[in-house]
Amino acid sequence: MALAEIRALTKSFKKGGETVVPLDGVDLDIEKGDFISMMGPSGTGKSTLLNAVAGIDRPDSGTITVGGTEVTKLSRSKLADWRAEHLGYIFQTHNLVPVLTAYENIELPTLLVSMSKAERRERVELALEAVSLTDRADHYPRQLSGGQEQRVGIARAIVMNPTLVVGDEPTGSLDAATSVQIQELLVRLNEELGMTILMVTHDAEVANLATRRLRLEGGKLIELNGRAANTGNGRKAITAG
Amino acid sequence: MFSFAPYVVKGLWRHGMRTFLTAGGAAVALFVFCFVGAVQEGLERLTSGGDADRTLIVFQENRFCPTSSRLPQDYADTIRKVPGVKDVMPVQVWTNNCRASLDIVVFNGASPAQLRKNRGLMLTAGDWSTFESRHDSALIGANLARRRRLAVGDTFSIGDLSTQVAGVFESPVAAEENLAYTSLEFLQYTRGLDAAGLVTMHEAYLDENADPDTVAKAIDETLAAGPVATTTRRKGAFQASTLSDLVDLIGFAHWLGYACVGLVLTLVATTTVMAVQDRVKEHAVLQTIGVRPGRVFRLVVSESLLICLAGGVVGTLVALAVLAWGGLAVGAEGVTIAFQPSVSLGLTGIVIAALTGLLAGIIPAWHASRTNIVLALNQA
Ligand SMILES: Nc1ncnc2c1ncn2[C@@H]1O[C@H](COP(=O)(O)OP(=O)(O)OP(=O)(O)O)[C@@H](O)[C@H]1O
Ligand SMILES: [Mg+2]
Repeated sequence: MALAEIRALTKSFKKGGETVVPLDGVDLDIEKGDFISMMGPSGTGKSTLLNAVAGIDRPDSGTITVGGTEVTKLSRSKLADWRAEHLGYIFQTHNLVPVLTAYENIELPTLLVSMSKAERRERVELALEAVSLTDRADHYPRQLSGGQEQRVGIARAIVMNPTLVVGDEPTGSLDAATSVQIQELLVRLNEELGMTILMVTHDAEVANLATRRLRLEGGKLIELNGRAANTGNGRKAITAG
Repeated sequence: MFSFAPYVVKGLWRHGMRTFLTAGGAAVALFVFCFVGAVQEGLERLTSGGDADRTLIVFQENRFCPTSSRLPQDYADTIRKVPGVKDVMPVQVWTNNCRASLDIVVFNGASPAQLRKNRGLMLTAGDWSTFESRHDSALIGANLARRRRLAVGDTFSIGDLSTQVAGVFESPVAAEENLAYTSLEFLQYTRGLDAAGLVTMHEAYLDENADPDTVAKAIDETLAAGPVATTTRRKGAFQASTLSDLVDLIGFAHWLGYACVGLVLTLVATTTVMAVQDRVKEHAVLQTIGVRPGRVFRLVVSESLLICLAGGVVGTLVALAVLAWGGLAVGAEGVTIAFQPSVSLGLTGIVIAALTGLLAGIIPAWHASRTNIVLALNQA
């Protein structure tokens, strides 16, 4: 069984008189260690799909099962608990809480799950280290650069070592140089920490980092060849093991 | 629950000025609320309780101001013989002001021995023997002493009346602490009063099982044959009717107290609504991270609760302090209402502040917890 199974997912919106159908029976299996990028024209429904997988939006029909839990069945509160433990969300803009320091922002998800103070501390420090911001722990978001803010946002997404990390255009609002930093970081999370990532992007270069590349069009997903398949370097096997 | 305390506190701090002003508003309103409450408590104390129910006041019929009631002093002997009456104390009342006033000074002249026996005064300074032996000496209530800054040995003059303070007393009846006691003769012979052989009223103390209203009726009937007709009532009823204008006013003032609570409610609710609107996206981010809707609700409510409670506690404490040290009283026609702090008043103030804070947060908190996460995240 795949880590995540998406079956016959549909979602439509009524817009004035007409109905938009961004998801029209989407099927997808995500394996542990996958680094998936999703592209597609603007307005096709990439964010809609991602948000459904993240459990912050509900599909009209179909099921999403992650790690054996059918998230489409959970109540609002249970869904929140599930996200706290199993999901990391990387936003396009960092969305940090401005009154909390980098450390405190990263600590937030750990406050939702019962654990010792020491463990909490250790997790936050590991996450800070993973995004190379240990020396900025006590800085407030306004004291950080855009790239640093985004890295804090990523640290917050991975601090609970989630089952699945999703990102909606995580490099979408960064300049080219900063974007490269974040790209390298994402690859490192996948390769070194074995994180499973599902990411929406408009940038073909970013999409090419992924081990699997998807395209959403006409309400359906089309699988393209990922980098691993292209280069045949066995990268997927390494991360999966 | 408390793991998010830094988030709440820092959130309030982020809009320091707004938080401060709102808490300030809550403080002012709770100050007024407690003040109004103290006036009401004072009035209640005056018209209920043992002293108010078991003491009768014999006054000249159809007279209200102490300067206009004149009864023969020897009525005391007649009243004493009425069944159910244990003791009678003739009292001469003198006041600097017959109208409603915040700085009323009321002298009661009576026999020192009877005062000592009947009024349950506790001297905190000075002594009884000076008061009993010195003709122009006075015992003054603790509240009056505070208000007028008087100590033992000071001379205290109002108009033609000049006395020397022989002692300061506390009384189980709060309103008494606004009085000054002198000997009966001293007040009777004060220039301008010209009341030799006359007194303002008689205070009748009842036997254990005597029914106050029956005795009151008996007294009036007995004295109907004398030169001056009388009206006898329980002390509580007498004071309530003497203060009837003020009682109406105070009854109205308690609406003022409620209005203050309503004001705090809208003020804190407005601030909380603003704080929530500012943070629609932030709350959506928190929920995306895994914060439950219920917790978002509690976070918002705790903000409004904290603001309201902080302001309310300050306002209540300041009100209690002013009541304790101000020695304030309102009075009319020789009867005074003491404004006093009390534990129940303080607790009421704080509980009201807490409830208001909770109530003010409920609607914004509900909105914050129920918003559509995706739509909120897409906000600029
Ligand atoms: N709450 C909503 N109400 C109505 N229509 C919606 C709503 N959310 C999304 N849509 C519509 O659904 C379609 C898919 O939206 P979605 O945001 O998923 O697109 P996208 O692929 O992420 O686009 P982009 O690349 O521009 O981010 C769009 O046509 C959008 O207008
Ligand atoms: Mg999108």
